[in-house]
Amino acid sequence: MLTLPQRLAARQAYGSVLSERSTPFNLTKPQLDAAIAAIDDWIEANAVSFNAALPLPARTTLTAAQKAELFYLVAQKRYGG
Amino acid sequence: MATGDTLGVFTPYQNEPPATIYATLDTRNAHPCLDFDGSADEEAVFTSILPRHYGGGGLTVYLHVGFTSATTGSAFWQVGIERMDDGTLDLDADSIAAFQGAAGNPNATNGVMTLVTVTFTAGAQMDSLAVGEMFRLKVRRDADGTAGTDDVTTDAELFGIEIKET
Repeated sequence: MLTLPQRLAARQAYGSVLSERSTPFNLTKPQLDAAIAAIDDWIEANAVSFNAALPLPARTTLTAAQKAELFYLVAQKRYGG
Repeated sequence: MATGDTLGVFTPYQNEPPATIYATLDTRNAHPCLDFDGSADEEAVFTSILPRHYGGGGLTVYLHVGFTSATTGSAFWQVGIERMDDGTLDLDADSIAAFQGAAGNPNATNGVMTLVTVTFTAGAQMDSLAVGEMFRLKVRRDADGTAGTDDVTTDAELFGIEIKET
């Protein structure tokens, strides 16, 4: 689980990205904090099944950081951004 | 009597950024602005001299602000004054008087500015600044919401400042 400062850092980073792009965005800080917390909680709850879904040899060869990076890239390709 | 007189105007290029937590110079459609972060407090500083037509009243500071992404919510702005009186102030230390603050709500149309009004009564609130004296004006977005509600996640932009005698 992310610590509270880590979750706040995630919010700040996302706010900076949106500002840099001038993307319309109207979630308040508490609303965005809740979304970040929910995502973090979901990852915590589903990390084991995500890992189990990876085929060998990726499951045992990739580091946790590499798996997270792949997850991010696949999600980004699916949903844009 | 100078009530209602404009006593000074500042634009982004006049910013003297502090060493840390400084607002960042940017442009929006070629309009210079200072970007204030949505999560961490950031500041900008301006120096001037209180004009001779100042009549001894309080001050009203108008901040002309925009928002990069938000069209709802509320941002909280703070302004503080440092009197730089000859023969007294040590320039090697900051002595900004207590911040005065006000909220600013993003316009429903992104790209339309909002006017934020921060008032100072004559005397301690404006660090007892007197006519003809130098001063610094510090502007802070209270993005962490210490002094007031600031729920806008994204950047705010400062385009200009007017100081008026109240």
